[in-house]
Amino acid sequence: MPDRVRELQRALADLALAPDAAAFEADPAAFAGARGLPGPDQAAFRRCRPRLLSYREFVREDIWEPVELYLPITLALLERAGALEEARSGFLASRLLASPYYRDIAPTFLGWLAATGWGLERWPFLVQLAHAELVPELVEHAPDTPPRAGLHPEPAPGDRIVPAPPTQVLAYDWRVLEATPEAPGPPPGPCHLLAFRDAEGFVRWRELTPATAAVLVRAQQEPIGRAAAALGLGDPGAVLALLAALRAAGALEGFQAG
Amino acid sequence: MRSAQPISGVGLGLRGPHLEAAAQANPGVPFWEIAPENVLGDGGREAAMTRAILARDPVLSHGLSLSVGGFDPFDPGYLEPLAAFLLDAGSPWHSEHLCFTSVDGASTHELLPMPFTRASVRHTVARVRELKGRLPVPFLLENVTYYSELGDKEMEESAFVAEVLEGADAGWLLDINNVYVNSLNFGFDPYRWFEGMPLSRVAQIHVAGHTTMGDLVVDTHGAPVVDPVIGLMRWVLPRIGRPVPVLLERDNEIPELPVLLAERAALQEAYDRALAAHA
Repeated sequence: MPDRVRELQRALADLALAPDAAAFEADPAAFAGARGLPGPDQAAFRRCRPRLLSYREFVREDIWEPVELYLPITLALLERAGALEEARSGFLASRLLASPYYRDIAPTFLGWLAATGWGLERWPFLVQLAHAELVPELVEHAPDTPPRAGLHPEPAPGDRIVPAPPTQVLAYDWRVLEATPEAPGPPPGPCHLLAFRDAEGFVRWRELTPATAAVLVRAQQEPIGRAAAALGLGDPGAVLALLAALRAAGALEGFQAG
Repeated sequence: MRSAQPISGVGLGLRGPHLEAAAQANPGVPFWEIAPENVLGDGGREAAMTRAILARDPVLSHGLSLSVGGFDPFDPGYLEPLAAFLLDAGSPWHSEHLCFTSVDGASTHELLPMPFTRASVRHTVARVRELKGRLPVPFLLENVTYYSELGDKEMEESAFVAEVLEGADAGWLLDINNVYVNSLNFGFDPYRWFEGMPLSRVAQIHVAGHTTMGDLVVDTHGAPVVDPVIGLMRWVLPRIGRPVPVLLERDNEIPELPVLLAERAALQEAYDRALAAHA
């Protein structure tokens, strides 16, 4: 065979990541043989059957641990429906996880949910719920960047806003903030959120009105006054005061002329 | 300010629950070991505390995910920031596990065992030599816990480790708990395991606790270090003949910092006695 070492590694990965271990459990030697491994390796697979199976358990636990840690509400939903193992197996079998970073595991699971549409027919809010659960972690650990030059602290109607790099303005179709492990299905309804890091680095949430959320998005591209007017916000002073408060809280890095 | 003195004594892994206390003042720990995967590209409060500790205290870098024995190309998107981190943190070396962690681009986040074959030695030696050329500091390999042989073996695990270290001319991060756990799972004498091993290559030692799960002893890093492992450490240190740094690993069931510091102090005493007896 061209490269026995590589094929042995592939066989162990197959055992660890496949949706079930039935073929291996039924006949470990045949499992190895089906992967082109020669007789002595087939015999070793038969001899080491229980120990090799322990690797399947370890890999699955290692990869799933951060998903459990960061998505407790999403997983509570799946567990109640008896769908947890199906989701876990589907994700692991997809082999989408390529990153060396532990912190990327749960976001990759979210990516798998979004890319495959798994569970969306039954739970149309699933991706949004999982995303909302991940946001605090993403905001808390967003990379630090050097302060941008040319910003000032007080907004003027002709300025554009510059969000702090970790800040996220979020719009969901479901009331994701109302979901809990005990009641994991969020009620339908729009939900606009601002997530940011405060001066001490702690994550803060604010629920926004649709108009405020729209200003925070539009005024990154056009002057605050024009954005407010386009959205029918009659009191530019109130908008400017809100934006100044958000800068003081850490959500915005500052304001830029033009 | 970091000292340029060689790192020795018994250090601790820098872990989330203890970051705040460690950032305020060094609690008498001679060095910290850190996984770059937990730092690279990270920002925010914990990252700032970590950076402050790294700027103040000696640090040793220990990676988890290079997949040294694997076949996937080394990712420059990881290696390049790793190289910058190593220089910035002042780590005298970078260590990794003698195992594979990814296959055909899929990461398993588990330390998977290498086949103990001559081809596997040749492959791993070539990979380590490549890594050595791409990192700005010396490279150490750690002997791992393995729970099963992978395929038909052509040599014992100890010979595999020794041949890779010698062939790649690499330093050795000797994990004593891994030797001990393997001795329990495979029924050999851990002291005899060291016969013929290249102790002159040891630059660092790991000790840790483990957990029995059914008929398997698992390297969980979730319990205090047991006496037989401390005994092995005291036995091997004089044979190494140099005050190489020893890292107390604790990654699960992490106790309060004072509890861990007390265990560190007891290990430091054993370390000092072992080296004093040799002097």
